[in-house]
Amino acid sequence: MAKKRERLEVIKDILKAVRENRNIKPTRLLYSSNLSPQMFKDYVNELLKKEFIKMNEDEEGKKTFSITTKGHEFLQEYKVIENFIDNFGL
Amino acid sequence: MEIYNWVIQNKEMFKIFYGLIIALICFVIVLKTNRLFKLSFHQGIRYFRNAFFFYGIAFLFRYIFGALAFYGYITYQFWIKMLFEFFLVMGGFFLLYSLLWKKIEPEHKPFYSSLLNFNIVIFYLMAIVIVVLDYLWKSYSFMFISQIILFICMSIVTGIKIKKDKGKHKFLKFYFTAIILILVAWILNSALQFFAWSKGVLIDIYIINIIFFLLFLYSVIKITSK
Repeated sequence: MAKKRERLEVIKDILKAVRENRNIKPTRLLYSSNLSPQMFKDYVNELLKKEFIKMNEDEEGKKTFSITTKGHEFLQEYKVIENFIDNFGL
Repeated sequence: MEIYNWVIQNKEMFKIFYGLIIALICFVIVLKTNRLFKLSFHQGIRYFRNAFFFYGIAFLFRYIFGALAFYGYITYQFWIKMLFEFFLVMGGFFLLYSLLWKKIEPEHKPFYSSLLNFNIVIFYLMAIVIVVLDYLWKSYSFMFISQIILFICMSIVTGIKIKKDKGKHKFLKFYFTAIILILVAWILNSALQFFAWSKGVLIDIYIINIIFFLLFLYSVIKITSK
């Protein structure tokens, strides 16, 4: 059985998906995140609140997500954060 | 031995600087981990930082009031020791909790505040009880016993984590070493109450304490500067 992903790992996966597919649609992001719709909603709301991603809306009202500078910073620092957590048993 | 005697003669002055050094080390750890916490909002990092924040406050407090007492502005009273003891005990609780929080709190819905939630309130109450008991008995025995139990628990928890880690993260061993060192320091500290050892032992305890904090500082700097 696959190991349950930790919170930070899920955030990293979502941010990577958003970074790799500029202006990704919510449905596509939901599929690539591999989360239940409720969990996905919670994570996306958290990422929006923390300004790691932003929501864009075109003239037709179609919504897409894109990564912010803070989101890029998180991905750059992810290894350090993960290392820190593992080395201090947190 | 001469240096021991010299240090013992200037014990009060050294105690003040010792407090300042540890307070500075703690605040550097808190500052160095600030960015990681702000990006991750990881509860473990949060409790780890809280531990060093409380240790920092304890030693800063000791430094300020120790210096004031040393220069004769105030008399070193028991309430100062009580506050020092409270922050020190809380620092220990936070450090233990940083290792165990995942088993207690739901990871996806962390508590709103890391300083004031139900679990932490229990720690505050326990710390207050320890401080009050020591006040009533006019001793440090309850703090010593609590810290020895706490660091035995921490050494077991980190020992299990090292076994599971299989040597992938070398600083986990540093962590374990630091915990064992501080445990030895607490045992020596409590034994000093009952045995008439030379005052050199007290200096050894101070040195061990500084090494404990330096090991954490070194690990934090090494990991965060990668």
